[in-house]
Amino acid sequence: MADDLQTARAVQDAALATEGVASLGTGRWAEAATYGARDKVTGVVVSPNEVRVHIVVNYPPPEPLPALAERVRERVTSKVGGRPTIVVVEDIEVVQDENL
Amino acid sequence: MRIFNRIIVILLLAGIVALGVTTVFYIFDVSDYHLEDLSRTLGLNGLYDGVNGFVQRAENRNLDVLDIVVLALVALLGLVLLILELKPPSPRRVRMQKGTYVTRKAVEDEVNTAVEESHEVLQSNVKVKAQRRPGAIVNVTASVRPGENARSIEADVRDRVKRRLDQVGIPVGTINVQVRESDPRQTRTRVK
Repeated sequence: MADDLQTARAVQDAALATEGVASLGTGRWAEAATYGARDKVTGVVVSPNEVRVHIVVNYPPPEPLPALAERVRERVTSKVGGRPTIVVVEDIEVVQDENL
Repeated sequence: MRIFNRIIVILLLAGIVALGVTTVFYIFDVSDYHLEDLSRTLGLNGLYDGVNGFVQRAENRNLDVLDIVVLALVALLGLVLLILELKPPSPRRVRMQKGTYVTRKAVEDEVNTAVEESHEVLQSNVKVKAQRRPGAIVNVTASVRPGENARSIEADVRDRVKRRLDQVGIPVGTINVQVRESDPRQTRTRVK
């Protein structure tokens, strides 16, 4: 359980460090999260069979979504101990212009 | 399991549980319930007679038209439910590449933005379906004022949606656009 949380945190950091990722999604019908004792990591679901990352992407994205999602997947793969990784683009968010 | 099949199975299981509990009462003669009374209490005698009569009529090839129609309908219903049960569910998310997906909601939002950029469209309704292979099926219903050139608006909307999704990189299978004339007083936007 603690290992799952550590994995989820590592995946969260790796995904958020990718250019074009605004934040992590929370899931639509059910919360996408990894749960531990008195703690949870939202946006990453670590299960024995796979790891799923929900990302919210900036608009305009720096590259096409498939390429961006693939880049996130590549970055995350090294943190998940060989489990298959799934990247879900949950939303596309317009970047706020700070000059406005 | 499909929802209708699930309801049927739940009702069936609930019936089996109720029957099991009742039978236990009767088997152990709990508070004057006796097993020999069970079929009378459940009203099974009439059912036995009915089934007997039906089977005899079937054996003598003496079924009336109503029986045949009912049997055919039951068989057809069973076949439909079986096919629905065996059919794999449609994917919830739009596949882009192996292991990368985009939610239908995100695609709908993008399509909606593209459609509503068109000055002629007063309101749009977008439905996105995920395909088993990469790409989405996009169904757009665009409401326009009466008298507008539906064909050119349809082409314009299709073009805008395609451009927007290409720009973001979302793979598209089919884009279906339907233009519907609507009273501007009943749409979300009256004037653009």
